[in-house]
Amino acid sequence: MAASKASRIGEEIWKTRIDKVNAELVTLTYGTIVAQLCKDFEDDYPEVNRQLDKMGYNIGLRLIEDYLAKSNTMKRCSNFRETADMISRVGFKIFLNITPQVTNWTADNNSFSLVFDENPFADFVELPDDGRAQNELWYSNILCGVLRGALEMVQMQVEAHFISDVLKGNDTTEMRVTLIRYIDDELPPEDD
Amino acid sequence: MSAAIPSVACLGVIGRNNNPLHISIFPSYDPTANAFTPIRNPLQFSLLLSSTIDVFDLRSKTSTASGDFGLLHAIDDRLAAYGFETNTGVRMVCIVDMRGRRVEAGGSGVAGQGSGAAGASTASSTSASAAAARSSVGSVGAGLRDSEIKPVFRAMQSAYVRLLQNPFYDPDEHAPLGGKGGRRITSKKFGDDMKRIGEAWTPGVTTL
Repeated sequence: MAASKASRIGEEIWKTRIDKVNAELVTLTYGTIVAQLCKDFEDDYPEVNRQLDKMGYNIGLRLIEDYLAKSNTMKRCSNFRETADMISRVGFKIFLNITPQVTNWTADNNSFSLVFDENPFADFVELPDDGRAQNELWYSNILCGVLRGALEMVQMQVEAHFISDVLKGNDTTEMRVTLIRYIDDELPPEDD
Repeated sequence: MSAAIPSVACLGVIGRNNNPLHISIFPSYDPTANAFTPIRNPLQFSLLLSSTIDVFDLRSKTSTASGDFGLLHAIDDRLAAYGFETNTGVRMVCIVDMRGRRVEAGGSGVAGQGSGAAGASTASSTSASAAAARSSVGSVGAGLRDSEIKPVFRAMQSAYVRLLQNPFYDPDEHAPLGGKGGRRITSKKFGDDMKRIGEAWTPGVTTL
């Protein structure tokens, strides 16, 4: 499916089939979750990243059903490039109303970057100035988990992590997504 | 021939426990040295801000609905303190130096702000408003209309709102309920906002 068609689908669904909520509600709720995790784990940021990823994973497992129902695409993506376009132009579009750019493909087409021009989660946010958060905390790490969880449910094992974040003073917010393998539908053990 | 127009000398934010949350000091133009230096030292500014708390207290009994307290007190022939209070008890004070900035009488040249970086970006808006400033403040010490200070407080308040939206900023830490004291604001973004507001304002500026 062409990228432009994916954009059209995303736009269409966003306009007609999505219930909207106040953006600040989302931003502040997510912010509270991250801040609370930081407090609970006593500023152990790698652990906070892990927790966010885990929460995202559990969201992704469920969200994919919603995505499939709303996007109404019964057809499977024919390759990973198409998957990437659908993630950006339909998935992110209908849930967050953003379309991160898909770039930096590796030659084997198994790994790409999502570059976020805007990130509704990170509005207003300033990372704690304790000398470690700037290096260690990936504020929007929940998104990595969401992608991992959602793609796993459609037989794709991926690895996702952020490699830069404007909150840390980088120029862009960039997430790296790598396909590890397609999970074959496992057959039940044969009866002898 | 050059004339002097008002500029911001100090911006202060005071918490609901009468604790200092933030103080920004801006250099004023000193004609004898032809340089920009703060007109008072930080301790003196801190004292001036503390002294406004009494005025806030006194006035709050007959408080205005808008939270705008206008002129709190005129300190001397150069300095005047203006105030604003939010419903949550956070007070913002703007100390204006009536002769803090120099304009060429010809109208074109405006002496830039003391600190270079922000000076360049605000120069165009400053020179545009300089003409308005001169007409609105005919002579030095004629005083400012409250409406001319309003943009400062509006900008300070929106900067404060942005600060509160940051999930890592804990308002309780900065003004514990019923308690005393509280920590100062350390946010760099908020500090930068204050710097921008203080350097850009001059009478006649409507948006900051």
